[in-house]
Amino acid sequence: MTLTAELRDILGHDRVLSEPLERWVYGMDSGVVRGDAQLVAFPETTAEVAAIVRVARHYRTPIVARGAGTGLAGGAIPTQPGLVVVLTKMNSVEIDEANATAWVGPGVINLDLSKQTEPHGFHFAPDPSSQSACTIGGNIANNSGGPHCLAEGSTVGHVLAVELVTADGDVVMLGGPAPDPIGLDLRGVVVGSEGTLGIITKALVRLTPNPPDVRTLLTGFASVEDAAATVSGIIARGVVPAALEMMDQRMTQAVERFVSAGFPTDAAAVLLAEVVGLSAAVEAEAAIISEVARENNATTLRVAADESERAKLWLGRKSAFGAVAQAAPDYYLHDTVVPRTKLVETMTRVYEIADRHGITMLNVFHAGDGNLHPLMAFDSEEEGMLDRVKAAARELVEVCVQVGGALSGEHGIGIEKRDLMKLVFNEADLDAQARIREAFDPAQALNPDKILPAGSRCFDLGRPPLEGMWV
Amino acid sequence: MTSVRSALDGLPAQSSPVDGAPEADVTVAPSSFDEVGAILDTASEHHLRTLIWGGGTHQGYGGRLDPVVVLSTAGLDRVVDFQPEDLTVTVEAGVRVSDLEDLLAGHNLTAALPETPGNASVGGVVSAGISGWRRARYGPTRERLLEVNLVTGDGRQVRGGGRVVKNVTGFDLPRLATGSFGSLGVIVQVCLKLWPLPSARGCVTVADGDAALAAAYRPQAVIECDGTTRVYLGGTPEEVEGQSAALGADPVEGWDWPEDPAGEVQWSLRVPPALLRTAIKEVRGKYSYQAALGVGELRMAGDEGDVSALRTWAESVGGALVLVDGPPGLYERIDPWGTPPPSLSIQNRIVQRFDPVRILNPGRLPGGL
Ligand SMILES: Cc1cc2nc3c(=O)[nH]c(=O)nc-3n(C[C@H](O)[C@H](O)[C@H](O)COP(=O)(O)OP(=O)(O)OC[C@H]3O[C@@H](n4cnc5c(N)ncnc54)[C@H](O)[C@@H]3O)c2cc1C
Ligand SMILES: Cc1cc2nc3c(=O)[nH]c(=O)nc-3n(C[C@H](O)[C@H](O)[C@H](O)COP(=O)(O)OP(=O)(O)OC[C@H]3O[C@@H](n4cnc5c(N)ncnc54)[C@H](O)[C@@H]3O)c2cc1C
Repeated sequence: MTLTAELRDILGHDRVLSEPLERWVYGMDSGVVRGDAQLVAFPETTAEVAAIVRVARHYRTPIVARGAGTGLAGGAIPTQPGLVVVLTKMNSVEIDEANATAWVGPGVINLDLSKQTEPHGFHFAPDPSSQSACTIGGNIANNSGGPHCLAEGSTVGHVLAVELVTADGDVVMLGGPAPDPIGLDLRGVVVGSEGTLGIITKALVRLTPNPPDVRTLLTGFASVEDAAATVSGIIARGVVPAALEMMDQRMTQAVERFVSAGFPTDAAAVLLAEVVGLSAAVEAEAAIISEVARENNATTLRVAADESERAKLWLGRKSAFGAVAQAAPDYYLHDTVVPRTKLVETMTRVYEIADRHGITMLNVFHAGDGNLHPLMAFDSEEEGMLDRVKAAARELVEVCVQVGGALSGEHGIGIEKRDLMKLVFNEADLDAQARIREAFDPAQALNPDKILPAGSRCFDLGRPPLEGMWV
Repeated sequence: MTSVRSALDGLPAQSSPVDGAPEADVTVAPSSFDEVGAILDTASEHHLRTLIWGGGTHQGYGGRLDPVVVLSTAGLDRVVDFQPEDLTVTVEAGVRVSDLEDLLAGHNLTAALPETPGNASVGGVVSAGISGWRRARYGPTRERLLEVNLVTGDGRQVRGGGRVVKNVTGFDLPRLATGSFGSLGVIVQVCLKLWPLPSARGCVTVADGDAALAAAYRPQAVIECDGTTRVYLGGTPEEVEGQSAALGADPVEGWDWPEDPAGEVQWSLRVPPALLRTAIKEVRGKYSYQAALGVGELRMAGDEGDVSALRTWAESVGGALVLVDGPPGLYERIDPWGTPPPSLSIQNRIVQRFDPVRILNPGRLPGGL
């Protein structure tokens, strides 16, 4: 028997792909790294996933879980010839209105979940810009964020339990429907583990009540400094808006050409702020935001008059990457975090890096969280361009780390930033992370080569386990 | 290899015994990460069971731990990095929760840690994975842990996470450490995410807590104590006005949090929030209780009654009945946690990789880990 034949025994012929074109498609995600997908499997049940894992282990073939492939860090691509397990067919949704939760399959598309829960008065709070395509499984695996994660937190705060198929092909439930499940919080570790600790086959997610009222404000500024000061000022006044997004002038101009959302294209920076809650409260908070914006010399100040204007502003924000894709043949989207107070300093240095490398840089980001998304637009056909982009990207990360930031706020480490982990963690820190992985998957059968640089596990650190202790 | 006696004598940072702690051969109160590292390196070499002591407010496991070393975190008491504008604070583990909240309140901020902490330390609260009432609004404590510094059972100094409010850089050590009861290591320092302290605060007493929960739109907390329900409101003055109008009542100014329920035996009952009403019916009249509506936690206290039926029910709906405190004999008759979680073997493999000789608080996790 071969792995292909055994997989077809389990899934039938049609749910196992192995043609060159299919392998090419599943050998990449939305990032810049290519992988080697030998086989692609489409399970429909947890039992099938478990069976797939067991046979793949038998053939010593690396296993890579995949949702919609919108990840930007190369998380879903096999770095060694491997099996890609696509979870999109597992997309059931079971809403529990009384507990404000839902059991969902990993393949459910983020936006579909919010659409399905809308009639019940709920939505799923994490709203990545890719929400019309990306899956809940991918969101959980990457601990994804979105504009509305400023007040609501990233995906991890919205996942109560995950059903996991482990590297041994066992099925285990982590977490549960009650608060503070007993024992170590393995649920919390699996969220954000990028498919390295197990394959998520089901999840219990928390739903957020739709707010009774909402105000969306558009403000424009003559300088990035004024916009950034407004961000700090709003938070200093005790208001944590539901969302607080910034776009620079190049980005608003690109967006306006693409969708005409109504952004002022003459402003150096635009802030999109949203407050939600009871009507009286949102009025008051919108007033505070307006006041702070005025104090910081806002040149534009507009409150969306109705739902259609609000939807238009958000469409503009969420189309930002699409707008760039229209204007340049290639783009490289970055994701780093800095302390909010270091925004201006960091932005200045980020532009300087791009200028020095002769790269067009646009910025759209989650300003309230200090989560930067510098975007470099370029043409990879141009001689040496890709190398320059990569060099600039590395410098950019170094700058963010220098001011006390992190490598990634929401896109994950994957293969893209794996070797940069040493910028933020020392040998003992990386070894501790490698130990967590080893406890789940000692052979690194699941998504090998991701997150941790080679050699992270240092066997000469610490003591060997006590004799006779159960392993 | 040195003898155990000389190893004990050689431990740094020795101090007099801590009030209330069980008797031990040596008490240490390290004031640096290096000292903690040196202590645990020696303790793991010589297999010295070590009990970690924070504020000692809830060591609820009388009789179960018979430590050779008591490690007090009282010497780790510095506020390391306070960034009000970033809404983050980094503190050492021995800092008192009440001192931290006082400092933050001076800047109109809060970490939303337990509201009546007594002598509790930040490290103890994180280690026990305990949240305040305001988790109904701000989520549990584990949502606030941005960075953790840990000294593992065998003395390695390890850091996870970072001092930014959003981060997906590697495996989530901060969340793993929250609620780990010392099984991975001594939490020596944490960075917490903060929230603005609402400028207006009020309380409303209501007849129907479930209806209030639906009407008030995300109050700070709704707590039912022995039949009386109060809604805790906070936000801008307009928000508090709006919320109390929705409840049809005038709020009393300020928050008046309940003290822990009184009784010799203390339990924490955890069920899916929609089943809390059923839980209250079971408990009412038999125990003094405080129920966090919308959260699904009920703290109850009373005599040693028979709780087996209640525990069986809680576990059957995906929850737990956890013994928080009680007389030593009780721990011999009943497992403080109940049925261990299905992932026990993975948990064991993790603990083994952080505390290979298993010297720190051995047996405190579910399943005897
Ligand atoms: C235009 C654009 C905008 C974006 N905007 C945002 C944004 O605002 N915020 C944000 O956070 N991200 C954003 N992203 C990144 C991406 O959409 C998210 O990371 C998303 O969560 C990935 O979901 P996916 O289903 O496409 O996962 P994939 O790309 O298929 O996989 C991502 C990772 O998850 C793992 N994985 C997937 N499913 C499972 C499973 N069931 N079990 C275990 N592991 C699994 C994979 O192995 C891989 O490591 C954006 C991407 C694009 C292209
Ligand atoms: C099972 C259980 C449930 C509880 N439920 C609640 C509740 O619902 N509400 C509530 O308000 N309180 C609850 N408590 C009490 C809670 O433990 C205390 O509020 C808090 O932990 C006390 O802090 P402390 O500094 O006094 O810690 P201590 O009481 O000294 O220690 C608590 C535990 O944490 C360990 N520990 C202390 N410091 C550290 C450190 N720095 N690193 C690693 N481990 C450390 C200790 O060894 C001990 O196991 C509960 C306690 C337990 C055991």
